[in-house]
Amino acid sequence: MTRAGDLCLSSAGARVSLATSSDDRHPAECIIDGNPETFWTTTGMFPQEFIISLNGLQKIGKIIIESSSVRSLKIYTSATKEPTDFEPCTDRELEHVEGQFHTEEITVSITGRPIDLHFSILQGLLWFAGIGATM
Amino acid sequence: MGKLSAKCIVAGDSTVGKSTLIQLFRSDGSHFPKNYSLTTTMDVITKTVQIPDSGDIVELFLCDSPGKAMFYEMTEGLWDQPGALCLVFDVTSETSFSNCGRWLQRIKSKTTSPYLPGVLVGNKTDLSGRRAVEKIQAEEWAASHGLEYFETSAKELENFDQPFRALAKSFHRLYQERVENFKSLL
Repeated sequence: MTRAGDLCLSSAGARVSLATSSDDRHPAECIIDGNPETFWTTTGMFPQEFIISLNGLQKIGKIIIESSSVRSLKIYTSATKEPTDFEPCTDRELEHVEGQFHTEEITVSITGRPIDLHFSILQGLLWFAGIGATM
Repeated sequence: MGKLSAKCIVAGDSTVGKSTLIQLFRSDGSHFPKNYSLTTTMDVITKTVQIPDSGDIVELFLCDSPGKAMFYEMTEGLWDQPGALCLVFDVTSETSFSNCGRWLQRIKSKTTSPYLPGVLVGNKTDLSGRRAVEKIQAEEWAASHGLEYFETSAKELENFDQPFRALAKSFHRLYQERVENFKSLL
């Protein structure tokens, strides 16, 4: 079985198939590039969403997300070939700590074949949020 | 290049010229609505503004809101989470100026952010003989509430785009500050 930390990386075959904000200095690919120095920024208004398509997978036990200014997050999964028919997986109110990127560990139990992970940032602070990484 | 989006509430008493200013700005000055039409629901007009020397653009979602109390109450809920505000009054109407404080409170109650980029606009400067609010008076009030002040004459096509461009710029500046802040955290 693949180690959990590897799945959401571009080097493991994951890719961002949708992101609702774009600033090419901080593209959504930064979420999965494995580089702790890079991040994706949302560019105004909420909700903001991104979808990470994984390179085939059987089971996920934990999702770790590094973010700043995200207040409320919802995760959906889809097991179809195309990123459609998403089903709610979990939602979280994140604690915002000023002056640092917040690491949130979300325990999930996804069996079957979740191929796409859909993250929806419902609420943020000050219109802009940053996502450093998901694992 | 980045594309930012800002929800901008345009508020103020009825008949001060909110819709006219927005329509002029949207059409780059080519559309001046000659007949008055009362705004009864919230209209959303989008307009993209280039930010000089940055390559970035800000898409303003201008929420043209009714000034009449009855219609305002029905649309108030749509003001949630504003990113910028544009308060408009009529320089020939003392009442429309003194009501700006109330409009400001209403918009501020919709955000959790301590700072909201905003402008105050004194419209109808072409009616100079009937002027009831002096420029200095409006400037002082605006400054004391952290707003930038502009005077416009929609009828004479004067300055109609300045307040909106200023808002886009402030919003862009906030974004840059935010990104710098994220960088410093990593």
